[in-house]
Amino acid sequence: MKTRQLSFKVIWGKLGTVAIFIGMLLIFSLFAPATFLTWNNIKQIATQSSTTMLIACGEFFAILVAGIDLSVGSVVALSGMITAKLMVNLGMDVLPAFLIGSVLFGLLLGAINGILINVTNVHPFIITLGTQAVYRALTLILSNAQATFGFPGTFSKFFGGVWNGIPMSVFVALAVAALMWFITSKTTFGRNLYVIGGNRESAWYSGINVKRHILAVHMISGLCAGICGAVLTARLGAAEPNGATGYETSAIAAAIIGGTSFFGGKGTIPGVIIGALILGLISNGLNMCSVPTFYQNLATGLLLIFAVALDTFISRRK
Amino acid sequence: MEPLVEMKNIRKEFPGVVALENVSFDVMPGEVHLLLGENGAGKSTLMKILSGIYTPTSGCIRVRGCEYDKLTPKLSSQLGISIIYQELSVVNNLSIAENLFVGRLPVKRMIGVLPVVDKKYYMQRAVELAKKVGLTKPVDTLVGDLSISEKQMVEIAKALAVDARIVVMDEPTSSLTSEETNNLFEIIRKLRADGIGVVYISHKMQELREIGDRVTVLKDGNTVATKSMDDVHSENEIISMMVGREVQKEFFSEKPMDYETAEVIFRAEHITRKDLRSNDISFEVYRGEVLGFAGLVGAGRTELMTTIFSGQEYEKGKIYLHGKELPIRSPYHSIQNGIALITENRRETGIFPLHNIKENLVLVKRLLLSKGQGFIGLIHPKADQKIAENQRKQMNIKCSTLDQVITTLSGGNQQKVIVGKWMASEAKLIIFDEPTKGIDIGTKAEMYGIMRSLAEKGVGVIMISSELPELLGVCDRIVVLNEGKLKGTIKIRDASEELILKTATM
Repeated sequence: MKTRQLSFKVIWGKLGTVAIFIGMLLIFSLFAPATFLTWNNIKQIATQSSTTMLIACGEFFAILVAGIDLSVGSVVALSGMITAKLMVNLGMDVLPAFLIGSVLFGLLLGAINGILINVTNVHPFIITLGTQAVYRALTLILSNAQATFGFPGTFSKFFGGVWNGIPMSVFVALAVAALMWFITSKTTFGRNLYVIGGNRESAWYSGINVKRHILAVHMISGLCAGICGAVLTARLGAAEPNGATGYETSAIAAAIIGGTSFFGGKGTIPGVIIGALILGLISNGLNMCSVPTFYQNLATGLLLIFAVALDTFISRRK
Repeated sequence: MEPLVEMKNIRKEFPGVVALENVSFDVMPGEVHLLLGENGAGKSTLMKILSGIYTPTSGCIRVRGCEYDKLTPKLSSQLGISIIYQELSVVNNLSIAENLFVGRLPVKRMIGVLPVVDKKYYMQRAVELAKKVGLTKPVDTLVGDLSISEKQMVEIAKALAVDARIVVMDEPTSSLTSEETNNLFEIIRKLRADGIGVVYISHKMQELREIGDRVTVLKDGNTVATKSMDDVHSENEIISMMVGREVQKEFFSEKPMDYETAEVIFRAEHITRKDLRSNDISFEVYRGEVLGFAGLVGAGRTELMTTIFSGQEYEKGKIYLHGKELPIRSPYHSIQNGIALITENRRETGIFPLHNIKENLVLVKRLLLSKGQGFIGLIHPKADQKIAENQRKQMNIKCSTLDQVITTLSGGNQQKVIVGKWMASEAKLIIFDEPTKGIDIGTKAEMYGIMRSLAEKGVGVIMISSELPELLGVCDRIVVLNEGKLKGTIKIRDASEELILKTATM
């Protein structure tokens, strides 16, 4: 009896998120059989989820070390805007614009978060709440609150286009996810993050340079958001100064639904990816069932609470 | 005389384990009843039944002439049972007075209707209670600003505030200095004189005779004996009741060290902290010896070792390991150079509670094998498994699998995992800060053996302990600190508890 319960707990811990995912697939397939399970719609879900996947991967790192990054939405907007400006106003080529505007600025904005957290010792929640506002304001100042568009077709084609029938943004998201999965599960750096999230003091006494890891974590979060900025800008065909508002909420929700512990030290990248897909499924599925948009937030909110409560309930069972 | 509480034939089963088989236990008014036993003997389970946290499987509890087949926390406190746990439950950001009335602040009616807190009344009551337990600080002091022993007094006052008839103290002296311990005993004697029954749990043998009236020894969920302390003739008698065998008391090497020819493994020179909690301290560790550090709480032993290990608060001083000067910079640099610190607070700064035994064991080794201070490197599951298996054998860690989460182990086995972690990293100097705190006598002996055998293998071993008998049993030399200064170094031949205390307070 004891071993059976234990193994149920273990299996739930590993596959609980997958179970929710499959459950939602089944429900929507039943309610909208003609439209939901079509190749076009699946592509649609994947495309919609790809931006969430990208920022959720970064957010996962921040939560893994028992912190948080509330600035990801603003980083997406600011780096997207910079990338667009580099191409439109400075006439830069696509690749250097992407490398500087999205990658470099993503890393830089994340590094600013990390440095502020390390130097001030203020909780990441406060610091990134502050930079969220600052980065957003910079976006508006830089763009004069106007959308920027008219960049080379190759940019839209690469990040917003389709390759062999599959949207490029999905490839980008999966490539980033694969890299992040490798980092978290196969490298000493990644394992150290789990250890820092589990017990920061012990980690320090064991010789782990905690501050350096925290800095790296926020740079990774910034990088993911920066890449997301490029993808979003290309998909929309314009850099919107008010774009990506509230993205941090989806990123956190995806990570948590995907089984990441808000107290740090627990979670996996595949879980986060499924978490992001679940969020995509909800909005898409409810659309297919002709449910008005504002009900979708209701569903997402309830699912978040339900998923975490269920997980806590199961792991607390003796 | 009627007992204050009588627990009869208590049995408690957990899934798969019988924690208590058939235990009877009572407390008379005005007595100090010692409750002894190794970790896992069932002491805490019994006390948790008394406080209503656990429900006994069978048996009954008789309090004030009523029989109960179980108690609830609320009922237990209404019946005047109060438990002071080792991890004190005071609230640091409230004042002493507020702590005494947490959850039951007295209320008065403002303008005859509005219920407000009657601050005047509880402050006045708090002053009385504080006086009773000998707390000299003003009652509006924040509890966070008190020392551990003062916090304990607050706990006792809290028990008195609810008119407790039975006060259970779980290892109350584990973090007290000997002076503070004496104060505590004064308070306990006062409680006894007021007719309160005190249940006293401790691992420290030397205290027992001083404070105890009766003793009950538990072993593997059974009562071994309950007797009056007048019938107990020696400490060894109690120890052998607890473990069922006589424990070897002395571990230091038979042959006295020859310090003329011995090789110096580690040397510290003029270590000074910015806050002066270590002030110009120099010492050396020889090959083959265990160097003890004695001192009262606040002597600066932990601070000294933390500075050497991590560079925190470092002002000046030098360290040499095998003749080579090392930087005092960060834990990483020390570890890389072969210095390890096993901290006092296992739970907060030693283990990784979410992770399994294997991860806990291989962490440091993995860090050392990677580049860029642990940034660049890959995980090698097979090598990890091998390292962990090896340490499991060497340290004799009792677990069913290495994939078990570390918190499922007993305190002693967790400690062995921590030592194993440093052994795997091939440390050349290991500093043990209170290595036997909160672990049972059997595992304590094992820890002593581990430290001795490390010393014999040529690893430098430093041991900080607040238990003098332990230092006298294990170390070859004892450095005595007081208020951040080195007061003297005593060789084991000359050492005695009296001499150490005298040196400390000189």
